[in-house]
Amino acid sequence: MIRLALAQMRRSLPRLVSAGIAILIGTAFVAATLVAGNVITRTSYDAIAASLADADLVVLAQQITADDVDTLRAADGVAAADGQLELWTEVRAGGERAYPRATVRASDPRLEAQELTAGAFPAASGEVALPEPLADRLEVGVGDTITVVRELWDEGGETSTDASEVVTVVGLTDDPSGAFAQSEGAVIADAEDATRWYAQDYGGAAPSYETAVVALSEGADVETVRAELAQALAPTVPDARVQTKQERAEDLTAQVTGDSDALTGIVLGFAAVALLVAALVVANTFQVLVAQRTRMLALLRCVGAEKGQIRRSVLVEATLLGLVSSAGGLAAGLLLAQGTLVVLGNANPDVPLPAAVPVTPAVVLVPLVVGTLVTLVAALAPARAATRVAPLEALRPADQPVGLRRAGRTRAVLSSLLVLGGVGLLALGVVVSGTEGGVMVGLPIGILGGTLSFIGVVVGAVLWIPRVVSLAGGLLASTGPSARLAAANTLRNPRRTSATSAALLIGVTLVAMMSTGAASARATLGNELASQFPVDVLVADPDISPDGPDDAEADLTPALLERLAGIDGVAATGATVTVTTAWADDAGDLGWLELRALAPDDATTLLRAPDHAAGLADDTVVVARDDAERSGVVDGDTLTLTVDGGEPVQRTAHVTDFPTGLVVTPATLAAMGVDLPANEAWLRLADDADAVVAMDDIQELLSEVPVQVMGAALERVAFEGIVDTLLAVVLGLLAAAVVIALIGVANTLSLSVIERRRESATLRAIGLTRGQLRASLAFEGSLIAGVGAVLGIVLGLAYGWTGAMTVMRALGAVSLEVPWRELVIALVVAVVAGLLASVLPARSAARTSPVEALAVE
Amino acid sequence: MTFTASPTPSPLPGPTGAPRPAVHARGLTKVYGSGASAVEALVDADIDFAAGEFTAIMGPSGSGKSTLMHLLAGLDSATRGRALIGDVDITGLDDRSLTRLRRDRVGFVFQSFNLLPMFTAEQNIVLPLDLAGRELDRDWFDTLVSTLALTDRLDHRPSELSGGQQQRVAIARALIAKPDVVFADEPTGNLDSRSGAQVLSFLRRSVRELGRTVIMVTHDPSAAAYADRVVLIADGRIAGEITDPTPEAVLAGLDALRSFDEVAVR
Ligand SMILES: Nc1ncnc2c1ncn2[C@@H]1O[C@H](COP(=O)(O)OP(=O)(O)OP(=O)(O)O)[C@@H](O)[C@H]1O
Ligand SMILES: [Mg+2]
Repeated sequence: MIRLALAQMRRSLPRLVSAGIAILIGTAFVAATLVAGNVITRTSYDAIAASLADADLVVLAQQITADDVDTLRAADGVAAADGQLELWTEVRAGGERAYPRATVRASDPRLEAQELTAGAFPAASGEVALPEPLADRLEVGVGDTITVVRELWDEGGETSTDASEVVTVVGLTDDPSGAFAQSEGAVIADAEDATRWYAQDYGGAAPSYETAVVALSEGADVETVRAELAQALAPTVPDARVQTKQERAEDLTAQVTGDSDALTGIVLGFAAVALLVAALVVANTFQVLVAQRTRMLALLRCVGAEKGQIRRSVLVEATLLGLVSSAGGLAAGLLLAQGTLVVLGNANPDVPLPAAVPVTPAVVLVPLVVGTLVTLVAALAPARAATRVAPLEALRPADQPVGLRRAGRTRAVLSSLLVLGGVGLLALGVVVSGTEGGVMVGLPIGILGGTLSFIGVVVGAVLWIPRVVSLAGGLLASTGPSARLAAANTLRNPRRTSATSAALLIGVTLVAMMSTGAASARATLGNELASQFPVDVLVADPDISPDGPDDAEADLTPALLERLAGIDGVAATGATVTVTTAWADDAGDLGWLELRALAPDDATTLLRAPDHAAGLADDTVVVARDDAERSGVVDGDTLTLTVDGGEPVQRTAHVTDFPTGLVVTPATLAAMGVDLPANEAWLRLADDADAVVAMDDIQELLSEVPVQVMGAALERVAFEGIVDTLLAVVLGLLAAAVVIALIGVANTLSLSVIERRRESATLRAIGLTRGQLRASLAFEGSLIAGVGAVLGIVLGLAYGWTGAMTVMRALGAVSLEVPWRELVIALVVAVVAGLLASVLPARSAARTSPVEALAVE
Repeated sequence: MTFTASPTPSPLPGPTGAPRPAVHARGLTKVYGSGASAVEALVDADIDFAAGEFTAIMGPSGSGKSTLMHLLAGLDSATRGRALIGDVDITGLDDRSLTRLRRDRVGFVFQSFNLLPMFTAEQNIVLPLDLAGRELDRDWFDTLVSTLALTDRLDHRPSELSGGQQQRVAIARALIAKPDVVFADEPTGNLDSRSGAQVLSFLRRSVRELGRTVIMVTHDPSAAAYADRVVLIADGRIAGEITDPTPEAVLAGLDALRSFDEVAVR
């Protein structure tokens, strides 16, 4: 049968190539992910092993004292032993400061992880060696001094004072193996200084270690010494464990890379999506190949081929295709990873990356096996269809009736159950996560529900996608005969159309879901921030207050505000006065609150949420909802406001979402007898401003002015950056699935073109122009792709919103956003790609001569 | 019935002559390939097909019947000579104009029906008008459908129709645009004799009652007997014609051709 399989493959090569590319992309994804995981593990292992320098043994315990280290040193076969100090320190020089790791010089060069590049190791108290990158940052060299600062806590641990000492830099070091990669190297101090610093940090304790490293003397046997050390330490350190360097490094690597394993797992999840889509493409291809070969298969059956042989020939074909494309995918993945490694290595020469990708058996076998299995499984159903070809079909006329095979009832039931159950779980997830601390329970329920319902949607695709396609086709059909032909053609083989559309639907759903989730997260967290920080940037001058010093200088001058307004990215500025006021309603005193005077015009330009100041007028006072609810104040109440030494005024309460205190107009403040210069400036950043740059400029402008700078701008920037980066990464990962699905669209179209050769010729003979034929295929491609994309977008919106509700309900009101830009891009990409996918098939269809219509097969 | 052993040299239709033929060819030649492997499929064919006439083309396998039809219908390009449909010289037209011409003035009936499987009988019938964006003439449609006895089959798809019914749908499709000429390549080749006879009598009725022009290629002398005239082809040359043919006369004509061939070979 292998000869048959090979012969058939040769005939169908172009079809198989495009199915193979789909598998190739999927397996390349898997291979690259596995390699990336390995690189992370290897890099971590190298760094960890390096931090142990040339130690042969490592001793671990809760507490290893200096005496215990001496015990180690005294043991037979031990050349040197050192405890590893857990010490961090703050260093300052000029205006710069840093918090590097600190260590002492090793007692033996074999235990020293860092290398000296200039000067000498510290030999006396008051001397240190600095890692080169740190020295660069502090702008110091050998012979310069730096300040070491330690925070000293009092007995109760409530207050602290800074203790600083000046030390001289005597040497510069390099950390070639990344032993102290977290802080780009460690400060090496003299033992006496380190002991003192340690005592300062740990309430006067003498240094004790959790880890000690041991170097053996020449010729000593590792296992003998290991047993000896364990015995020697047993009396004083009963929990001591002695490990070889390799064991230790492996243990630590496992701890450190736990996170990266999870990351690898997540990325592999995306690879699985890509492979699933590829499987749909493969299944489609084989289904069509079998259909095309019906006559030949029937002939084979006539001349005596058994069902099993026919099935095997299809499966052998699939296995070969799977193996070849997976091997290609493996090679592509490794090349991709190697390329990335080279680029990264050049960009960050400090990070000790391996020069070549670490190729383990798993990296090779997993993509090969997974890719081949996926192909094989995808071909199972078509192979079964092939065995159902009856010998009789060889005798049937060439034109086969189009079988509108009824999709199974079981499928409908299964799909509905999955969808209903999944939707139920999704709803449950949203409800549960609304309860106190319920997110951790609600989220897994929601994910399970989402997965189940989506599987249901895909399983049922063949039942409902044709209906949607026919609906969309019906809309298109009015535009002309090409569209009508296309609409009719897409419905001829509902299974194939559904599978092609569904492949795209999967990718687009995930893209839309992620975009929607991200947009909703951004909006929800943005609102959350806006409710905590009413303005982007708030500059306060605390010296100015009714009970402050009379001669206090007003720093927030109009001139300064003008300069602030001149900064790039600052859209508006305004000055306000904040005082503390007593407030009371009919029932009596309500205590003290912060009161701000703000012109209603400024409120609309400066507040992130202008409705925070809704109702602000000369006869009203805006009350923060929290304060109003706590004091039982409602809209319309009359409040009496009194500033120390001023006049009481009465104003009508307006409760808003303003985060805290009261807001009145400057006129009201004047009526209260307050006459103060501005003590707060509010800044509004432009929506398109680079907030990081703007904040830097603001800080710099104010660096000489004694004011405090606060506000939401930086927080907003920080988390929007995180959300956007995550979204970009996820969309990048999903792109593979979408690309594979689009290959599937092209494949389906070219298969259809081949199948419909005679039909195309007939149409050409009875008057279809080449242009109309091409247009018809373009319509067909964009119809299939468009339906997949639109349905994907709708589903993605639903999932994205449900996900956002589940994850963020605990934060309060979730704003459900529609990420128009991303969705429109997804739709346009899908439809344009559907059009493009039709170009090549359409060219070959248009070349069909009308004479072929007359040919008899 | 008359049998002329050599083709009648037809004078070029003059401006005041007899009614202009629906289709005619002058010196029409088709050579496939080139050099040593060149095949002369059709050589210097001069032939007229009068409007309102049902003509059968017959000849041994490989004699050039299909080639002649393809050239006359504008499906293939001639090596030499001219073919005209009405007064349009189709040998000089580009693909676009040829397609238009086929759409508006030529109908086809194929041996294997070639209906579009995703459309119903009715949709198949009106397809040429649909492609041209032309209005459907309801009366004409009804006439066709009732003449071809398809009235209660209009909603069926091709897979639900017998071969004869499919071929009748194909004939209706060929006639719906009221073409100047209908070409049929072995329209009964895939049918049993009863369905074949039905199809042929419908073709004849469409000529007699609906005033169409039909040119049919066939191998079957009894099919040819339905025609008004039989044109005989041998070795790419027009070898004679029989008017008002009977099956026997056609057989005799073919036999004559064969012996003619044999003589030529000897
Ligand atoms: N595309 C082609 N390329 C080369 N030679 C061709 C081609 N088509 C036809 N021929 C040759 O031209 C000659 C006439 O062919 P044609 O198909 O017109 O014959 P026919 O009379 O229709 O035969 P049949 O009754 O078998 O259909 C034959 O010798 C054939 O081999
Ligand atoms: Mg022929």
